Amino acid sequence: MGDKIWLPCPVLLLATLFSVLLPGAAGFTPSLDSDFTFTLPAGQKECFYQPMPLKASLEIEYQVLDGAGLDIDFHLASPEGRTLVFEQRKSDGVHTVETEDGDYMFCFDNTFSTISEKVIFFELILDNMGEQEHEQEDWKKYITGTDMLDMKLEDILESINSIKARLSKSGHIQTLLRAFEARDRNIQESNFDRVNFWSMVNLVVMVVVSAIQVYMLKSLFEDKRKSRT
Amino acid sequence: MGRPALLLLALCAACARGLYFHIGETEKRCFIEEIPDETMVIGNYRTQMWDKQKEVFLPSTPGLGMHVEVKDPEGKVVLSRQYGSEGRFTFTSHTPGDHQICLHSNSTRMALFAGGRLRVHLDIQVGEHANNYPEIAAKDKLTELQLRARQLLDQVEQIQKEQDYQRYREERFRLTSESTNQRVLWWSIAQTVILILTGIWQMRHLKSFFEAKKLV
Repeated sequence: MGDKIWLPCPVLLLATLFSVLLPGAAGFTPSLDSDFTFTLPAGQKECFYQPMPLKASLEIEYQVLDGAGLDIDFHLASPEGRTLVFEQRKSDGVHTVETEDGDYMFCFDNTFSTISEKVIFFELILDNMGEQEHEQEDWKKYITGTDMLDMKLEDILESINSIKARLSKSGHIQTLLRAFEARDRNIQESNFDRVNFWSMVNLVVMVVVSAIQVYMLKSLFEDKRKSRT
Repeated sequence: MGRPALLLLALCAACARGLYFHIGETEKRCFIEEIPDETMVIGNYRTQMWDKQKEVFLPSTPGLGMHVEVKDPEGKVVLSRQYGSEGRFTFTSHTPGDHQICLHSNSTRMALFAGGRLRVHLDIQVGEHANNYPEIAAKDKLTELQLRARQLLDQVEQIQKEQDYQRYREERFRLTSESTNQRVLWWSIAQTVILILTGIWQMRHLKSFFEAKKLV
């Protein structure tokens, strides 16, 4: 093994250069914030993993949007397997952790429910990830021409950056509001279905019960008549 | 570990940062994206296979692909394609609502996969996050200021589209609530009326029955 180490070094170097110079060639660079909505069938558990560097911040927010009691078990584990968060039968939650290097695992557990499937929304917000915050500087390679206001350009760029940050925050809040609204809408639609269903059942039961009452009473008298004669 | 693993690890140094999950052979994983109309969605995924002998995840799985299926809010299939072990799928929504993105592996060689797990790295970008700004800068020959302004404009446009869609959804929500409310009211009134009428009918019918049987 020892004598074979010298060969990979230049190859490794080439490979690293290759992956740095050609963005996209070595795989996609995922964004810092992501949200997903998925269906969790009854009696199942699904886990997701997020690789994190040291001293970054991971914020996870989840909500149950649809399905019977609108509750789910949530479990967050550190890369060593230590449980950081364990919540049972909650309908929404938000957790922030200061991260160590490694893969964080979080799981949604619907095993307590036998018939109802849940629709779960979760959002991951990653901060202080380091290398990925320089994407805007990378754009310098692709632009053509220069802007005329060289002195004031830095100020303009700074205000543009702050606008971008605020718009991102608006976008996040919108995502959250959308999840809340979806949940309320699902509740209402299930209410609507329930009202329809039970009204029909009620009507049928009422009619059947009154008919049974009348005919039972009648049948009592029929027998007595027959026994007399 | 050895030489090949180190090499591939270096290659993947820039791309090991995304969310991933494990999927079984025949398992299907679906994600729902609620989006306004005319919004582009780009999904990127990368798969790794668990190697039982080496107890490690292999960086790539030649011959193993993923089938991606996208359904629009009405249930109609918008995209249904097979991709390799690493792929990128794009679609644009034409109706606002819940679009369902489903992934499942198309492993034909069951023996290779037997009892194994597949690790899938997934990233879904919606709307202006799906735009590739370096590409736009190169195509339209923009200066830095123009590029930044373009990005802000795209961001604002996306937020505005979401707001319009939110307004449409809220209207639907309000209609359903009001309809439910009305139905509850009318049903309670109808129930009371039916109960009274049934009671009257019962009494009348029994009375005429007893009279016919000469009991009263």
